Amino acid sequence: MARLPEFREEQEYRILRESAASYAANELAPQAEELDLEPAAWRVKKAISKAGELGMLSALVPEEKGGGGLDDYAFCVALEEIAVEEAGIAVALLAHNAALLPSALGEFEGLITGVGAESYPACLAFPGEISLRDGKVSGKVPFAFNAVDCPFITLIPTDEAGTRAATVSADATGVSAEPEAYPLGLRAACPGSLRLEGAEPSNLISGGNMLEAVERALYLGLAAVSVGIIRNSLRKAYAYARERYQAGKMIIEHQQMRLFLAEMLAGVEEGRSLVREASSSPELAPSMIAWLRNTARACQAATDGVQIHGGYGYMRDYGMERLMRDAKYCQMYPSTSQEALLRLLDMSETG
Amino acid sequence: MVATTLSERGRKLLRDFPALGALHQHDRRGIEGLIDLVERAAEYNRTVALPRALELDERMEREPDYFDWEMMREACKYRFFSLAIPEVIGGLASKYMVTGMALVVEELCSACGGIGLAIAAHSLGVAPVIASGAMAHWDTVLHEIVEEEKKGNPVLMAYAITEPSAGTDVEEPEFLEVAKIGLEAKKVKGGYRVNGRKCFISGGSEAKYITMTAATDRSRPLETWTTFLVERDMEGFSTPRVELKMGQRACHAAELLFEDVFIPDSHVLGYEGDGIENGILIIMAASRGPVGAIATGIARGAFEHFLAWTRESANGKRPIDEDRIRMALADMYAALEENRGLYLGHSLGGDALFRNAFTHPIFLSAFMIPRRVRASKPYASLLNSYYGKGLVNILFRYFIKDDDATDMLAKASLAKFACADNAMALVARALELMGATPSPERRWVEKAYRDVKLTQIYEGTNQLNRLALFNAEIAGTLKIEIPGPFKKGVR
Repeated sequence: MARLPEFREEQEYRILRESAASYAANELAPQAEELDLEPAAWRVKKAISKAGELGMLSALVPEEKGGGGLDDYAFCVALEEIAVEEAGIAVALLAHNAALLPSALGEFEGLITGVGAESYPACLAFPGEISLRDGKVSGKVPFAFNAVDCPFITLIPTDEAGTRAATVSADATGVSAEPEAYPLGLRAACPGSLRLEGAEPSNLISGGNMLEAVERALYLGLAAVSVGIIRNSLRKAYAYARERYQAGKMIIEHQQMRLFLAEMLAGVEEGRSLVREASSSPELAPSMIAWLRNTARACQAATDGVQIHGGYGYMRDYGMERLMRDAKYCQMYPSTSQEALLRLLDMSETG
Repeated sequence: MVATTLSERGRKLLRDFPALGALHQHDRRGIEGLIDLVERAAEYNRTVALPRALELDERMEREPDYFDWEMMREACKYRFFSLAIPEVIGGLASKYMVTGMALVVEELCSACGGIGLAIAAHSLGVAPVIASGAMAHWDTVLHEIVEEEKKGNPVLMAYAITEPSAGTDVEEPEFLEVAKIGLEAKKVKGGYRVNGRKCFISGGSEAKYITMTAATDRSRPLETWTTFLVERDMEGFSTPRVELKMGQRACHAAELLFEDVFIPDSHVLGYEGDGIENGILIIMAASRGPVGAIATGIARGAFEHFLAWTRESANGKRPIDEDRIRMALADMYAALEENRGLYLGHSLGGDALFRNAFTHPIFLSAFMIPRRVRASKPYASLLNSYYGKGLVNILFRYFIKDDDATDMLAKASLAKFACADNAMALVARALELMGATPSPERRWVEKAYRDVKLTQIYEGTNQLNRLALFNAEIAGTLKIEIPGPFKKGVR
């Protein structure tokens, strides 16, 4: 691939980057197409099982609580590297870790079960209208990742100012999950909808602003995943441009194609900087900004990548069109970009 | 004042297609014919395309080889396979052939880009038979299509240009000169031996007749580019695979394999060596506008589903009540109007150019000879002879002038890339604004997002189309030469 200017980061992140990249290349790359075409539960389970060695199954849970103990930036580094091969798995891991976040941050009020599940990524039921009344949760979540076959679901009741979270076992009575009928992209992250009717939580967790913490993790993580998608687009399109002859010269020698590729290159650098900045801030706004910019960049990069490939880019064999579909879903969740923009203004006014 | 003289239909037309609304006052019958076509396409959408579009799209991801013949048989009732076939042969093409094609295609693609493409690809396959003036095949091949269509049997055609190592290259003279050509049609006694592959051929695996452009000498593609008529049952011809596409799946993109296929001399459309002008530039000049219409149709479908979503209420609020959504809707509406202006401008211009070939008395007089004679072998060999082809070409040269064809290619290329880019931007924005909404409308817009991308790629990538506009109009360095017996490449 095009050699990127070296991104300055500390040794520890560099080591993590390498091990995440090798996990992605060995475990995910060979089955990236199957994970998109037929994301069966066993396949997803198998794909993420080795992610535990990176600490990615409980990345944001502190080591003293038995977790991976990665800081936010390290988490983003790993997500980016994983997304270079399979954005769907990266998002599945993101949603899983976001689902574990309340238990990492807060104090348990009740019995602790089912946290740190190794079997299948957990589901973060967000955003949605959830109420907690008389110790039971009810509500609807129209779109969430890992919605089907997950071991437990983390919810943040919206009627409590987001200071409490609940985990509900996926097979508890009153919980029903419906897979998305025909998801556009990120299929390995099994998007679906949830309905809760008086389900009994297995845990209640309180403390801090759970809602904001979870939201920030999603925006930040998707911003990092988007960088991975831009890198993958650049890698694929660059390789293709160097080997394909078109109109009297190699594609790489065509000026317009060079512009497309250069934009991607700039996008990777810009995207990483935004993620780095945002991960060092506890505020929500920088993560939202990183998400806004990086997802838009990723959509453009993937679309241009398909264009560079011409007809081949549109066919599944080249793995390019998948990036276009994956990138778009990163941009459509957890909110729309305009909703995020409008909130951003409110945040800066109040702050 | 004007409004009082307008019929109900005319008024609706003025609103939906202002350019046609204005023309309606000058040519009521002709324009009413076009509205009829659009209304038929809308009925086909209601009864055939919409009920199956989502399911078919999903099914063809799992079973790429599946083809829905039922939708094609249904299309026969609406005569969509006769759109490009001249009236003298029993088809529907008259003085508004290109415009009619574009309007029908927009309407069909507003329901499903794939089904629209499956129907449009057939007419693209028919076009070289018309444009090359190969009248020897009009009363056989085209007549068969019309007759079988009446019985409900779709006899399909397809047009094959793209080769595995050369896509965009083979659609532009300056690139063809340096293209890496894999397929060759070698001259042998009585015809040509063809070896090689064509790829991504829309409708190629279902077509009974395929018009194909190929080099007779691979080392000199520009000088030897030639248009052929291939029949499915020719020995050595096969369609070994179809692609799994991101969208527009209802229409197969097929690979064509030629293993020592013999094509007789009678199946050369036009002359050997005139394939660039005759087989490509004129066809592209006529067909890129309708590709703009495909993009417009897909975008309009997405717009309609997006609009339906904005009217849905979530938690007592409707998106359409928000200013930013209204602004976006206005932008999208404007983009659609712009697109229609572009492709209609091109199509109407194209019809001004081509209409003589369908309606001129000199031309029609050739069809006063009884069909029995016209379909006979001696008559065909007369038309296929040097003088026969020469006569037809003189006629075509008289009707269609070089400069007009060049201008039309410029307009067509402009309509193609501008419509496709507008459409892509529209659909991407609609999805961005909808977000992960639970509305069932989202799935339609997601499908449109997958479908619309192809319009930036096929019929020459949008980058190539920009160059074609530059060469033909801004710099003025590209000239289409209408082939004729006294021109280059003619033996």
